[in-house]
Amino acid sequence: MTQPRLALAYWLVPCALVGALLSTVPQSARGADDPRVWLQRMNKALATRNYDGTFFHISGGRVETMRIVHRVRSGRVTERLQSLDGSGREFVRANDELTCYLPDQHTVLVEPRQDRGPFLGSLPQFDATVSDFYRIEALPDTHILGRPTRVIAVNPKDQFRFGYRLWLDEKTAMPLKTQLCDSRGQVIEQIFFARLDMPESIPDSDLAPTVHTDGMRWVRQGASADNASAALAAYRASQLPPGFRLTVQGAQTIGGATAPASHLVYSDGLATVSVFIEQSSSDSGAPSALDPQAQAPEAPMQGLARVGSGYAFSTVVQGHQVTAVGEVPAQTVEFIAHSVKISSGAEIPHH
Amino acid sequence: MSEQIREQVSAFLDGELPDTETELLLKRLTRDGELRESFGRYALIGEALRGAGSQILTRGFASRVNLAIDGEPAQAPAHAQLRREARWWRPIAGVTVAAGVAAVAIVALQQRSISPHLSGASTTAQNVAAPLRAAAPTQLPLQGGGGPREALSYTVVPAASTEAPSAIAPARLTNYVFAHSKYSSGLGQRGLLTDLLIDDDEVPPIPAQRAMPPPPAPDTRVAP
Repeated sequence: MTQPRLALAYWLVPCALVGALLSTVPQSARGADDPRVWLQRMNKALATRNYDGTFFHISGGRVETMRIVHRVRSGRVTERLQSLDGSGREFVRANDELTCYLPDQHTVLVEPRQDRGPFLGSLPQFDATVSDFYRIEALPDTHILGRPTRVIAVNPKDQFRFGYRLWLDEKTAMPLKTQLCDSRGQVIEQIFFARLDMPESIPDSDLAPTVHTDGMRWVRQGASADNASAALAAYRASQLPPGFRLTVQGAQTIGGATAPASHLVYSDGLATVSVFIEQSSSDSGAPSALDPQAQAPEAPMQGLARVGSGYAFSTVVQGHQVTAVGEVPAQTVEFIAHSVKISSGAEIPHH
Repeated sequence: MSEQIREQVSAFLDGELPDTETELLLKRLTRDGELRESFGRYALIGEALRGAGSQILTRGFASRVNLAIDGEPAQAPAHAQLRREARWWRPIAGVTVAAGVAAVAIVALQQRSISPHLSGASTTAQNVAAPLRAAAPTQLPLQGGGGPREALSYTVVPAASTEAPSAIAPARLTNYVFAHSKYSSGLGQRGLLTDLLIDDDEVPPIPAQRAMPPPPAPDTRVAP
């Protein structure tokens, strides 16, 4: 593989990402036991090895059994993630496309997901700053699935970000167990392998979706190439939690919207927060509707929402709808959203 | 579930089960579908106690996809769609229904962090519940000014205001999440994708009644 294809390992990318970022940390004298070396190994294993495993995903009080098949052949990565419980949903990533099979909804969604530009571009040149915000340490070795395992902790140093604990197979450096934790060490999400094979080759049949697509609706999402208006593009977060910085600035037409929103991405290298700034259809403040179902989609929004393992927070700033979304603690999205202002020196078109 | 398994599951969900025991538990889970089912239910209750009910409501990927695509649900009657939406996403307004639970959960976390007798692997619903009840009247700083402050819990959505809850509309939230996922770190992508694979119809959201901690049993065991 000639280029890192982090996105391809999306199911375990947190691990890969940690490894990738830390691999750039210049260390003149890193021993074989250095946790950063282990994270590098893990990253490499995730990106370059073939594997086929079944794991439990535990989050939000639910246990799901999933299967992952990952194949690298002639530098091309094909990957399939499948829910083994109930829904029958499957994601297949191949040829720069992510295909979501949703048999329960009779829908197949195809999205272009090139491993270029914004995603990799949002990875900062991570140097010693990583250790300003995360503390990496080796915990006592243990056994998982009967195999000797290294345990690495990536601990956030403050409450603005989450951390990880990783159980890496001594022999292959594959993460047999992963935990997402808050700054107090409370586990938010876990992944445990019940089975993990690393075969020399994986047949095409193991990467083909098991879903029968007869009669299903295919929906292809196009890439958005719009520009946000100058008024929206002038907004920035005026204050950020320590370590976060602007890594991507662009525009995004949020589904159903008539005009593209300004989309800012802030990252500390591991954690990422998107900020969307949109023209609000109303200059009034917060809606008073108690029932969100009763709200018109265009109504101004305010409030905090849980999103997977992270949060979204919406507020209205000078008549603009500002929403911050990220796999971070609630207060991080709140902090960033509240600080959004017209950046100094920016032209402010009047309307 | 036997009491032993229950305790193991509880410790497991807290990330406090020793790896050797975890392995045994997982092996058991792998071959015992019934246990897995009750495990899920148990986890649900445990998370409710931690105030993560809103997470359960953020299911319904397909609904979200449909809404993201064309603003209307496909292949589903409107009322069913609404119900599903309500299930996956009932923002702060909905969460305030269970605000009592969330508040209790905050206390639980505070208690757990400061009270040695509450920490440990055997934090079952029962023995959490008793101290919770006792601590419930504690004043909770639920509303923040938006600036940096010590997080009480990452699993609790603070009730912004019970009088005037506001919300992010479900479809729009969906769209934000999708838009974010393209730019997000791997964490965001992975979290999103695994979350999206999960069937939203399999387990209902936590009803407020169910999420309420059970009354403390007289023989509630509290570790020394």
